[in-house]
Amino acid sequence: MASFDRRRINGPEESRPPVFEDDEDAEQISVTPKTRKGRANKDIRPIFLTTGLISEGNGSSYIETEKTKIACAVYGPRQIKNEPYNEIGNLNVEVKFSPFSCSRRRAPLRDAEDRSISVLIQQSLLPSLRLELLPKSGIDVFITIIENDGVEACVASGAVAASTALADAGIEMFGLVTSCASAMVEEDIWLDPTAEETVRARASFTIACIPALGTVTNIWQTGQLTAEEAICCLEACQTCCRDIHNVMASALLNSQAAKCS
Amino acid sequence: MTSKSEKSYIQSSLLSDAPLRADGRSLWDYRSIFLETGIIAQANGSARVNVGGTEIVAACKLEVEDVESIDGIDGGRIFCAVSCSLSAYPHLSSAAIDDIQYDLSQLLNSTLGHSSLRPSNLSILPHKRSWLLNLDCIVISDVGNIYDVLFMAARAALWDTHVPITRAIEYRAPQRTSGDAMDESGLDTRQAAQAADFELKDYWTEGDILDGRDRWPVCITLNLISSKHFLDADPREDAAVPLRLLLIFSCPNSQKPLLQGTRLIGSGEIAPSEFKSLVEAGQKYAMALTKTLHAKLQSDSLQQ
Repeated sequence: MASFDRRRINGPEESRPPVFEDDEDAEQISVTPKTRKGRANKDIRPIFLTTGLISEGNGSSYIETEKTKIACAVYGPRQIKNEPYNEIGNLNVEVKFSPFSCSRRRAPLRDAEDRSISVLIQQSLLPSLRLELLPKSGIDVFITIIENDGVEACVASGAVAASTALADAGIEMFGLVTSCASAMVEEDIWLDPTAEETVRARASFTIACIPALGTVTNIWQTGQLTAEEAICCLEACQTCCRDIHNVMASALLNSQAAKCS
Repeated sequence: MTSKSEKSYIQSSLLSDAPLRADGRSLWDYRSIFLETGIIAQANGSARVNVGGTEIVAACKLEVEDVESIDGIDGGRIFCAVSCSLSAYPHLSSAAIDDIQYDLSQLLNSTLGHSSLRPSNLSILPHKRSWLLNLDCIVISDVGNIYDVLFMAARAALWDTHVPITRAIEYRAPQRTSGDAMDESGLDTRQAAQAADFELKDYWTEGDILDGRDRWPVCITLNLISSKHFLDADPREDAAVPLRLLLIFSCPNSQKPLLQGTRLIGSGEIAPSEFKSLVEAGQKYAMALTKTLHAKLQSDSLQQ
């Protein structure tokens, strides 16, 4: 039963999404395909990344990889009122799923699942920023997920978008943060898995790293892996992150060139 | 609140050639671990763990769930919730405590609720009814190393859990004796021929042991400082060394340990080569911890 929201016109209390004929056929296919559909194991989906989507923010970016579409806006550094003096700046990441982003409608009010993604993206970005240069200030990163193709893909693309937006806002950092997700399907490592591929995998492994420094800022793994497999996943993701870094750098250079000309 | 000089003092003593900790432990010692199971009579399984002051109570309650409902899974499922008592964090606002509760619940859920750890005896009527295992943990006090203690308590409660034995029953239309129309009941024609319901076989026994006892994982929190790591931080060490790597290992008997979860928490970064050595070290600690806990849980269950 949907929770009653006084500020909106609520639909009927009990409502279910419609079931289409095509969906029923798709559900019957339960056999795991041995090979990946459409791309090689180590291929990631093509990334479209651009900055300057949101003119109000100090920096913004928009990332699109097939079915994952995320818009990110950065406001800051700005003064934090009502808080005691803190010599290190504060990074606040807020993630919001749009109601139409998932196959089942999400409530427009802030959800509990939003928080877990915010925590992971904040963990990815925190070591890269020079927050000690921003006392008494805060940086707000607002991430809106327009279309969602799996939580791991959201976390990875969200971190990439956020780091690009932070660079677009001119905030000093040690290096750009890139992030990549992978899934362990039987004995193979599939990079950048879609939501369906993640469900069928036995483990998923997402990392965020700073390729310029060669360090890892966030590791998130669920599922069952041996220690050696975890290390292989880490190395595979790291190699992929270097390619994503090139995409981010060229997007930023293009936007700067467009601003100057 | 720890001052900068106190943090620097703790860091330099940990990094020195002969590392020193406030209570004289070595870098890889846990504080004393107290573990009891079966403390809550009404729960299907319960445990209390106290590690140097950090105390968590965990209890399992089984309820019947309809597989066709939105969250139901054929074969049963586990749902974990952690709540922090207000006395555990007296200096934090209730919003901050809510956040901590939520993060701990998420970590437990994503690890213990994963299909690779699902016990095989949680089904009642295949495709119709199954057990939903609610694992609730309460953090009574937190003086460091909350993640390790949380998993120890959850694991012990699951170890102690017994699943009531059920029996499927089906309705059969009674045999019609010829020429006796009075015995026929109007309801006969509407009853299903398949198993439609279940009953508890025996009220007095606790039931079967929950399957997958030796697969439940332990969490090892490696606090990272420079190129060293140490275990079981107390609150001051926690404040001085913010970066931690959580490795959640499942060590089933006579098999290789498996990583069921990994998280990096705190402001800081690690080099990939470091990750390799940390995982190997974590594996060793996990096997030792599992062995110790196993011995204690075995002796507890024999006593009951």
